[in-house]
Amino acid sequence: MRVLRFLLRRLLQLLPVLLGVVVLTFLLVRVLPGDPIRTILGPNATAEDAAAARARYGLDQPVWRQFLDYLGGLVTGDLGTSIQSGAPVAGELAVRIGPTLELVVIALALALVVATALGIWSARRAGRFGDHTVRIAALVGNSLPEFWLGLVLVLLGYSVLGWAPAPSGRVDPDTDLSLLTGADLLDAALTGNGPAFVSALHHLMLPVLTLAIVIVAPLLRSVRASALEVLASEAYAAAEAHGLRGRLLLRGYLLRATLVRLPALAALVFGFAIGSTVLIEYVFSWQGFGQWALRGLLYRDYPVVQASVLLIALFYVVVFLIADVVHAALDPRVRIS
Amino acid sequence: MTKDLRFASSLIVTGSVILAVVVLAALLAPLLTGWGPEEIDPAAPLAAPGGAHLLGTDLNGMDVWSRVLYAARLDLGVAVVAVALAVVAGSLLGLVAGYWGGWADDVLMRVVDVFQAFPTFILALAVAALFGGGTLNLVAVIALVNAPAYARLVRAEVRSIRELPYIEAARTSGAPPWGILWRHVLPNSLTPVRVIAPLNCGWAMLTLAGLSFLGLGVPVPGAEWGAMISLGTADVVAGRWWTSVPPGLFLLVCVLGFSLLGEGLQERADAVRR
Repeated sequence: MRVLRFLLRRLLQLLPVLLGVVVLTFLLVRVLPGDPIRTILGPNATAEDAAAARARYGLDQPVWRQFLDYLGGLVTGDLGTSIQSGAPVAGELAVRIGPTLELVVIALALALVVATALGIWSARRAGRFGDHTVRIAALVGNSLPEFWLGLVLVLLGYSVLGWAPAPSGRVDPDTDLSLLTGADLLDAALTGNGPAFVSALHHLMLPVLTLAIVIVAPLLRSVRASALEVLASEAYAAAEAHGLRGRLLLRGYLLRATLVRLPALAALVFGFAIGSTVLIEYVFSWQGFGQWALRGLLYRDYPVVQASVLLIALFYVVVFLIADVVHAALDPRVRIS
Repeated sequence: MTKDLRFASSLIVTGSVILAVVVLAALLAPLLTGWGPEEIDPAAPLAAPGGAHLLGTDLNGMDVWSRVLYAARLDLGVAVVAVALAVVAGSLLGLVAGYWGGWADDVLMRVVDVFQAFPTFILALAVAALFGGGTLNLVAVIALVNAPAYARLVRAEVRSIRELPYIEAARTSGAPPWGILWRHVLPNSLTPVRVIAPLNCGWAMLTLAGLSFLGLGVPVPGAEWGAMISLGTADVVAGRWWTSVPPGLFLLVCVLGFSLLGEGLQERADAVRR
């Protein structure tokens, strides 16, 4: 109950921040150079055609009027109409967000497990060969261009070995997967579509691996650093001096204390992962949120840009909120109030 | 302790050697290849490595080895200049805000908060898409998205330094404020910046290449690693590795050089503090 109240209050506090983001994006995208109407008209369009198109999307109205209309729509869940496609933005967003979240969540989960295991392993061998190897590997991971890594994995997995599917799409169209959430793995599981599940998993393999490799590096470095601190702490030394057995020492004293700082970092890495996803989606023709937002940005599709920026900001703050709650659950000194 | 220091020095040396080799290769490019970076060999588009073209040619018949070498000039140059600009602008803002405080400090920190409410690559992507690509714009974009972090870092340092006895001593002996700031506060507040800046250069290279990969960076046919990888995307599916693997490998090695250098400096600072 207390957690719920805390969440509710924090979400309410976020409203002014999000309103600021909405106002800023709305103004900036209109002030900066570029015209969304020119991109949808043919080369032979006359000035009358342009004026008609402008009126159709309400762009002939004064800016304050446009903004009030937009804000009114937001309250009722209407994100406007895409200038490029003519379809409602909310609908397009709904089918685009699932594939991206699926990619990010699976990769982040995988990276968290690997980073925790390797980071603690490395810290317990601090200064020795194994530790140095892990640290150098993390530095290489930190220096990898994710889009290039994706291409190299395609080269190896598809072109050379033939294990992975071609980097186009998320599921084999022959499997007749019906669209529910857009997250293909989830959709296949919900509809009991076995072949589609296998195909989705197959297609997820390389992009997830790409993203996981680039985000595991910063997590690993941080886990190692905080494990080193715990190992040097008085509490740990006392537990060790009392002759506690290895397993209890590891689980009860090292693991939990080490993981306390991880949620905040994972939230930060989540933001980093969203940036990487734009590039990785491009490599694998994933047709997710990243590619959609990029297209909107390039064509100055005002409603699409506004919706994507608002969504990224919303996700970012919500993820940090979740991190706070998890942190409180892990660290007995922190109380949610 | 000496062991930590030795590991730190080996990281610093390795990183510096890698960077020196890349810089040399970039400078000596005309001696290392007979082809110009934008020179087209009409007889041999997509030629495999070997023969007249050491690393083959791309879709346009341009020599990959030559382009990879010349691209180092642009990639390194843009990254270093952009980070230098970010360091100077960010540090100055942080210095002034941190030393005097007051409303200027409040305004600056709110602006920094807004910048840091978005993932940095997303921010760079949005700004580059809205303002357009081109080399100069990219320098500005990368400097702009990095400056807030330096402002915050230097401000925090300055706030603790200004309370120290030696600043008080300088003040009571009648030194002018700008003199104190320039001679005593600034040099000491830059300590963390020295560690972050090399890491940041590597990150700037990745950002530049990423933007170019998406078509927002250096316009064709400019030789830039990200743009080269982008052009080679279609070749990968056909099994032609040489158009995209070499530029990425150079990029990786160069960023790794910066990472090793930054990590080594960090490690040395930690070891000395202990």
